[in-house]
Amino acid sequence: MSLKQPQAPSFVHPAEEMFARVMDYYGVRWIYEPRTFDLEWDANGKVTLAFTPDFYLSDQDLYVELTTLRPQLSTKKNKKMRLMAELYPDINIKLMKRREMRDLMVKYGLYDQAEHIQGTQAQKKAP
Amino acid sequence: MDVITISRQLGSLGFQVGQAVAAKLNYRLVWRDLINQAAIRSGAPEIALAMIDELNLLGLTPSTDQFNAYFRVVGQVIQELAAAGGIVIVGRAGQVVLRDEPRALHVRVIASLDVRMQRISSYRGISPEAARAQIEASDRTRKSYLRRAYQANWEDTSLYDLILNTSRMSLTTAAEIISHAAMQPFVKEAISIQAGEED
Repeated sequence: MSLKQPQAPSFVHPAEEMFARVMDYYGVRWIYEPRTFDLEWDANGKVTLAFTPDFYLSDQDLYVELTTLRPQLSTKKNKKMRLMAELYPDINIKLMKRREMRDLMVKYGLYDQAEHIQGTQAQKKAP
Repeated sequence: MDVITISRQLGSLGFQVGQAVAAKLNYRLVWRDLINQAAIRSGAPEIALAMIDELNLLGLTPSTDQFNAYFRVVGQVIQELAAAGGIVIVGRAGQVVLRDEPRALHVRVIASLDVRMQRISSYRGISPEAARAQIEASDRTRKSYLRRAYQANWEDTSLYDLILNTSRMSLTTAAEIISHAAMQPFVKEAISIQAGEED
C-alpha cells in the first residue's frame, strides 16, 4: 500500500511493480521514490550526483533499491551506495537484486490476485 | 496470567483469535511491530523483510551474524513485553522464549489442512492449489524459524498449555477458552502429582 501517494505511481521497471505488489501482499507500507539524496556538488554548489532509492518502507525505516547485475550500472550504483554511507550514515538502505519472481507469484496465486489487493485491503491479516 | 503467546498455522485463524483475546482482556496485541522493532534494534532492518517474506519471494539471505543478532534482540523485546504484562504476543516463538515464565499462557491454534486451504483460498481469492502451496511454504518457514533460532520443534506439544483446533470451533469460542484460562492464576500444584494419583 503506498503512503502519501494519492494515485498509483508510474514504475520505471516491471521489477519495481512486482516488488510493490509483494509488499502489498504482506501488508508492508511503502512509498515509491519519496526522497532524493544529494551526493556530489560542483564548485558552485550545484548538485552533480544524486540518488533516489526506489522505495521507502516506513515501518522498517528502510530504503530499498532494486538493482540489476549489469556491471556498468553496478559500478555506478556501488559508488552511490558508498557515498550514501559516508554522507548519510543514519539512513538504512538495502540494495536488492531484481529477481524474477513471476513464476513464484503465479505458484502462490499472487499474480492475478495482486491486482485486487489495494489500499486498506492489504492491511487485513490473513486467517 | 497476563501474558499470552499464540503460535498459529496459516489459515488457522490464530491471528484473529489473538485479536479477539486481546480485545476481550483489554491486552495489547503485538505481532508485526515486534519483528520491525527487533530488526531495527539489531541494526539490520532488512531482516524484517526476510522474516515477513514467508513465501521467500524476495530471495533475501541475511548472514548468520545478522540472524543471530536479530534473534537475540527478539528474545530481549519479548522479555521486555512480558515484564510489562497485559499482552498477547503472536508468533516469534514467544512460547519458547517465555517457556519458564509463570505468568505466560502458551497457546497453539491449528486447523486441518482442508479447512486451512478453504479459508486461504476463499479469503485471498486464489485456487486451492495456490492456497496449499502458500500453507506449505508458511509451515516450512515457521518450523524452520524455531529450529534455527532455538533448536525447538514447532510441533512439540509440550511447548503449549492449550492447543485449539479451529476446524471444529468458532473463533469466539476459541477466544473465550483462552481468555478464561488466562484469568486463572498459575498454580504450582498443576506441576506436581499428589501421592497416590495416577498421571
